[in-house]
Amino acid sequence: MNKHWKRAGALLLTLALVLGLSCCGTPEQETAPEGEAVNLNYGLSNPWDALMPYYSLSGSNYSRIIYDKLYDRLAYIQADGTCLPRAAKSWESTEDGRAILFTLDERAAFHDGTPVTAQHWVETIQLVTDPACGILGQNSFACLAGTNELGAQAAGETLGAEAVDDTHLKLSFKTPMIPEEFLVEYNRDLYVLPTHLLQDIPVEELVTDGFWSKPVGSGPCKFVSEVSGSTLVLEANQDYPLGAPGFDTMTITVMDKANLLTALIAGDLDYYAFGANVSEENQPAALEAGFEVVADEVPSTFYELMLNNTSIADKEIRQAIDKAIDKTLLCQQATGSLGSAATSSILPDTPYAAPGHGSYDPAQAQKLLEGSSYDGQTYTLACTSARSSIAALLQQDLEAIGLKVEIETVDSATLFAGMSDGLYDMAVASHTPTALPLWFTGSRFTQDNNIFQVQELAPYAKLISAVKAETQEQPRMDRVDELEQYLADQVPFVPLWFSASLRIQSKTVSGIDYPASTCCNENVWQWSKAAP
Amino acid sequence: MKQLTRRSLSAIPVFFGITLLVFFMMNMAPATIADAAGAGEASSAAMRTALEAELGFDKPLPLRYLSWLGDLLRGDLGTSYRTGQSVSGMIAQRMGPSLLLTGTGVLAAVVLGVPLGILAAWKPGSGWKRLAGGLTLFSFSAPGFFLSLLSIDLFSVKLGWLPAAGMYSAGVSGSGSDLLRHLLLPAGVVCLGSLGNLIRQTQSALGEVLSEDYIRTARAKGLGEGAVVWKHGFRSALIPVLTTVLNHIPHFIGGSMVVERIFGWPGMGSLLFTSVNSRDYTVIMGVTVVVALAVLGMSLLMDLVYRLVDPAVTWGGVP
Repeated sequence: MNKHWKRAGALLLTLALVLGLSCCGTPEQETAPEGEAVNLNYGLSNPWDALMPYYSLSGSNYSRIIYDKLYDRLAYIQADGTCLPRAAKSWESTEDGRAILFTLDERAAFHDGTPVTAQHWVETIQLVTDPACGILGQNSFACLAGTNELGAQAAGETLGAEAVDDTHLKLSFKTPMIPEEFLVEYNRDLYVLPTHLLQDIPVEELVTDGFWSKPVGSGPCKFVSEVSGSTLVLEANQDYPLGAPGFDTMTITVMDKANLLTALIAGDLDYYAFGANVSEENQPAALEAGFEVVADEVPSTFYELMLNNTSIADKEIRQAIDKAIDKTLLCQQATGSLGSAATSSILPDTPYAAPGHGSYDPAQAQKLLEGSSYDGQTYTLACTSARSSIAALLQQDLEAIGLKVEIETVDSATLFAGMSDGLYDMAVASHTPTALPLWFTGSRFTQDNNIFQVQELAPYAKLISAVKAETQEQPRMDRVDELEQYLADQVPFVPLWFSASLRIQSKTVSGIDYPASTCCNENVWQWSKAAP
Repeated sequence: MKQLTRRSLSAIPVFFGITLLVFFMMNMAPATIADAAGAGEASSAAMRTALEAELGFDKPLPLRYLSWLGDLLRGDLGTSYRTGQSVSGMIAQRMGPSLLLTGTGVLAAVVLGVPLGILAAWKPGSGWKRLAGGLTLFSFSAPGFFLSLLSIDLFSVKLGWLPAAGMYSAGVSGSGSDLLRHLLLPAGVVCLGSLGNLIRQTQSALGEVLSEDYIRTARAKGLGEGAVVWKHGFRSALIPVLTTVLNHIPHFIGGSMVVERIFGWPGMGSLLFTSVNSRDYTVIMGVTVVVALAVLGMSLLMDLVYRLVDPAVTWGGVP
C-alpha cells in the first residue's frame, strides 16, 4: 500500500509541477480599459532601448520612434526634408548664421501639467552635455558653441544654449548653420526633458535612474506601462498643442519582421513601423487582403559597398571595383522596380544631386585592375545574412574582372566592428538618407570615425569643411561638386543604389504621414482610429 | 537526505562551470555592445572607447568574470546595458509569460502524446499507430518558425479565428479569455514541437515492456488487457516517459525563442534573442543563471521522482 501511495504521489507531484508552472505564469492582471476605449495596435520588428531618450545604446531608429511619441522635438521633418513646426512654432537664423532663434509653442506642457519653457530646453542641453553625465550620442551637440569635439561642455566656455525668455530659445554654433539643415540632422536626437523633476538626481546617475521606468515627457503620448523591449502601452496626450491623437491608448508590440504583415492582414495590428513598408515581393499579399499600397516618392534607403582603403590602398583597384559592379542589375534584383543605381550618396532629386561620375564598364574595370598593384589576393566581403544574395552578385561581378572575393556572413554589429578594426576588405551596408548633401560623407572622414580606413584624411576634411562653411546656395553647390569629384576619383566607398518603399495604407487609422517615419518621426497627433 | 545534499553540492561546480563557459564564449564572440551601439550609423571610435571603459570592457576578462560572480553571490544580477534596468527585474517580468506559454504547450503535449504513445504501443496494427507515426514525423520535421508562420497564415489570416501576435489585444493586461485566444496558437506550436518526442518515448518504452515475458505471463494468467497495459506495462515504462517530461521543464523557464519572437510573446526567449543581438552581456548571463539553475534543479528532482517511482533506482538514476 505504501509503495502504491509513493508512486501515486510521484505522479501527482509531476502533474502538479507542470500545472503549477503553467498557472503561475499568468502575469499580474490590471483593470482593462472600460467603455469604448480605442486602442491602436502598433507593431515594431526590433526593441527599443532604455526609455531615457539620451541613453539609446543602439542609437537605432527603433528607439527614436518610441522617444518621438513620449518626448517633444523642435520640429516635424517630412520625408523630403521639409521642416514643420512642432515644439517650436518658428525659427530664424541670427548672428550671421551662427545662431538660430526658436520661438517655442507657449501651449506646450509636460505630462505632469508643468508648462515647457525655453529654460527646460537649456537645462536639458546643459544636463546632457555635462561631462559627468553618461549619455550616449553626446556628439550630436558637438556643433554647439561651448562644447568640445565629443559634444561635452568645454571648461571655461559658454554653452551655446540660451533662454531669451520663456518662449524663445537661442542655439549658437561653432560654424554657420542653416536652420533647416540643423533640424534635418539633429532634430531626431534633441528632446526636451522635464528638468524640474530631475533636480534631485545626481548627474552621474541620471541615465540609469528609476525615473525612466515611468518617464514623463511632453510628447503626444503619455507612458502607461512597459514590458521592457517587448510591449509598451501609451495613452493619448489630450493636451498636446498640435492636437490630441485620435485614439485612447497605443500598444506597441515587438514581433518578428516576418509576422508584421500577416498581423496587419489578420487585423491584430493597425500599423507597423516604419511607415508600414512592404517589399515588392509581398505586395500582392497586401493587395489581395484589400489594402491599398502606395510607393514613396523619396528614396528611403541607400546601399553602399564599404571599402577598406588601407587593405585596398591602390585607388585603381577601388575604381575597378566601382566600374565592375552592374549596379542597375543589382538594384533590380534587390528592390525590383523601387530603386535606382547610385553614383553618389547624395539623395537624387535634391538641389545638390549632380549627374553621376561612374558607370558600369567591366572592360575598363579589367584594364584598371591589370594596370593596378593587384597581386591576385582574395578580398573578404562581409555581409549580413539578409544581404547574402547581394554579396553573391557582387562577388560574381568582381570575379568577372579577375578580382577574387570571399564572402563572410556576419551579424550587423560584427560587420561594423570588423570594418572599424580593418578586419574586412569590403562590406555591404544600408542607411537611411536625408536631403542634406553631407548626410553620409560629413561624419565618415574624421580621425575619430574613419570606417573606410582612409590613410590621407586631410583632403576629405578640407573639402567637407568647405561645404560646411558655405551658407549661400550656389557656392555651396560648387563646393559639394568639388567634394563629389574627389570622391569619384578616390572611390573610398562604392555607392550602390537608392530604393524607395512601398507603404500599406492602414484600413483602421487615418491621417498617417507614412514616408515621414523614415525621418524617425510620426504625426500621431493627426492619427485617428474609429471606435470599435 | 545525505545523498540529496551530496547531489546538491556536486551541482555547485557544474553551475559555476556553466557560467564560466558562457561568460568566456560570449566575450570571445566578435563585436561588443559598444560596437553594436550605433551600428550602421556614424559611430565614433572615441564613443566606442568611452563606452567600453564605462562598461568595464577595458579590464581583463578574468577580472570581469570575478566581478560579475561577486555581484551574483550578493544576489545582484546587474543592470542591463541596453535598457539600464535591473536584470532580475527584466527576468521576473518575462518569466511569467514564458512559463505560461511553454507550460501550456508542454502540458498539452503530455496530455496528447502519452496516451497516443500508449495506444500506438498497445495496438501496433491500428490507426493509432499510424496517427502517432504521422504526428511524430510532422513534429520532428517541421521547424518551429515554419509551424508558427503556417499556423498564423491558416488561423489568423485565412480563417481569422485567432490573433496572430501579442499576449493581449490591448497592452499588458486583459481578460482571461483574451489571453487564452492569444495563447492558443503559440502554445499549439510549442505543443507540436514537443509532441513527437513524447509519443516516441512512450511508444518505444511501453512497446519494449509489452514484449517482456512477465507481460506474457500476466496475459496467460487471464489478466484483463487494461490491467496488463496500465498496471504492469505503463508503470514499468514510466521512467523514460518521466525523463522526457521533466527534461522539458527547464524549457518552461528558458522560453521558446523562435515562437516567442514570431508571436511577439513577451517571454524569456525573446529577451534572450534581443540580448544576444545587442550583446547585452549582463542579461545573457542573467538568463544563463536562471536556466542553469532550472536544469540543475530539474536534475535533482528527476532523481527524487525516479526513486519514488521505482525504489530500486539509486541516486543518479542507475538501478
